[in-house]
Amino acid sequence: MRRKLRLAVVGIAIVKYAGLALGAFFMLLPFAWMIVSSFMSAAEIMARPLRWLPAELQLRNYEALAAAIPLGNMYANSLIVTISITVGVLLTSSLAGYGFAKFHFPGRDILFVLVLATMMIPFFVVLIPIFFLVRQLGWMDSYLGLIVPNIVTAFGIFLMRQYMLTLPDELLDAARIDGASELAIYWRIALPLAGPALGALAILAFVYHWNSFLWPLVVIRSRELATIPIGLNSLRVYASSPEVINLQMAGAALAIIPVVAVFAVLQRHFVRGIALTGIKG
Amino acid sequence: MSIAIPSVARVANGAAPRRRPYGRRALAGYGFITPAIVFLIGFALLPFLFTVYVSLHDWNMLTAVTSMPFRGLDNYRYLIFEDPLFRQTFANTFVFAAGNVAISSLLALGVALLLNGEVRFPTFWRAVYFLPYVTSSVAISIVWANLYHPSYGLFNGILELFQLPGARFLASLETAMPSVIAVAVWHAVGYYMIIFLAGLQSIPLEVYEAAKVDGANAWHRFRSITLPLLRPTLLFVAVVNTLGSLQVFDLAFVLTNGGPVNATNTVVLYMYQTAFNFTRMGRASAMAVMLFLVILVITLVQLRLLREKE
Repeated sequence: MRRKLRLAVVGIAIVKYAGLALGAFFMLLPFAWMIVSSFMSAAEIMARPLRWLPAELQLRNYEALAAAIPLGNMYANSLIVTISITVGVLLTSSLAGYGFAKFHFPGRDILFVLVLATMMIPFFVVLIPIFFLVRQLGWMDSYLGLIVPNIVTAFGIFLMRQYMLTLPDELLDAARIDGASELAIYWRIALPLAGPALGALAILAFVYHWNSFLWPLVVIRSRELATIPIGLNSLRVYASSPEVINLQMAGAALAIIPVVAVFAVLQRHFVRGIALTGIKG
Repeated sequence: MSIAIPSVARVANGAAPRRRPYGRRALAGYGFITPAIVFLIGFALLPFLFTVYVSLHDWNMLTAVTSMPFRGLDNYRYLIFEDPLFRQTFANTFVFAAGNVAISSLLALGVALLLNGEVRFPTFWRAVYFLPYVTSSVAISIVWANLYHPSYGLFNGILELFQLPGARFLASLETAMPSVIAVAVWHAVGYYMIIFLAGLQSIPLEVYEAAKVDGANAWHRFRSITLPLLRPTLLFVAVVNTLGSLQVFDLAFVLTNGGPVNATNTVVLYMYQTAFNFTRMGRASAMAVMLFLVILVITLVQLRLLREKE
């Protein structure tokens, strides 16, 4: 009887780990092939039966890639744009979230309903008007055009307000008695205490805008301003010859590897941030 | 100053009334929310109303806003009754959303259940499944398009090793949409897995212990404890997943650009083409409004379901 039970436990464990490993294999296979084939020659890509590894590490694809697209610019642009947007989102969301959570004023609840209502508007619905607005402002094909329309999100305000509600009023009032200005209370007390929510929002905003494609696609015209997704997309214009496959895999690898490195370091925070916003939503 | 004093006095007395009178503090409150509110009005609310306005007009973005010709509901009538491509993209979008929501939610739940119990290296498994979510959809689409390549792709290479016939994946009418769905599932499954894990971990262990004492087997425990208590999480995943899926653009644009012969063209991609390739802003705006209404109705229905059973 006991032995049977133990066998069942072992059996379940085998099924469990086999399932997890099979899934993990499919999750990692595209990445693995991307890296392997970025080092292959065109002949090796075409070879049938399939070759699993390159005979020698070809750096030629990466050299060709650097000649085909402005890699340095792409990284710099993506960094500048994404960091600016993330800082903007953190600032506006925490300011407004604090205002909604900790102050009483006429019209507050109606204005908060307005925030919730704009949360229901997906980006594609306002794509054409915002494109038009940005063009009228003369921000086409510029950092301003990429950054400014994204620095406020209703979701961020909502998230920060929910979190700020949990901060104790006594603490803020004590600072007021000490003569601190409202802005100083926000900056020195509320903001540090809201660290976990700010961290979650920062990660979500950063990943979202680092990978964002549709908006840069309509705003950016010149090569020098291409973000990483836009630069990668421009690799598609060639016909799909084996040489281009090599080039594309090298490009994708260079785009993906830094993100994976950051993710490996911050994994715990990613997971916590998503879980936090998932439950709140 | 005179307004600030009573509030300080009240705090000192320890007898704060529920509602403080408005005053200097209220002004500070407005100060904190003003930047965000002005922005939301300018970059979300007014643009939304403008989309509705443009959808009732003909506009190529060159004529002045004040002089675009009014067309009433003509754009809507045309799209619904005279544009088979719009109907097709709508159907495609729903096929994509249904496939992606069903498969990615179920797989995510399955992986979350496997990871929720005692498991070795939980961080490693979680990271592996979550990894695609943090990577750019353009980059992974480029990688997958090459995996799918009929002549040089990895998949057909593997099939050939086993002497199986190759498939044409993105290049054939029948397999293009399932191939796009597979990429979407692969990309998003880890995100929903994390949310399911958070939901599973919020179920108190005592409930399971009690059920075990009562002799409930694993399946019974899943059916009568896990599923009901996970209901809010399930609905949250369903809502978010449906919303995202109906707005699919990146994958369709990069993997296939809507092809072959519009087999994977979606509403947002068709809207993009109509607006930015053919500069028919009125028609594109009408598409945006219609998809928005559909999304709104689905969200409200799903939220209603969530509230009903709670």
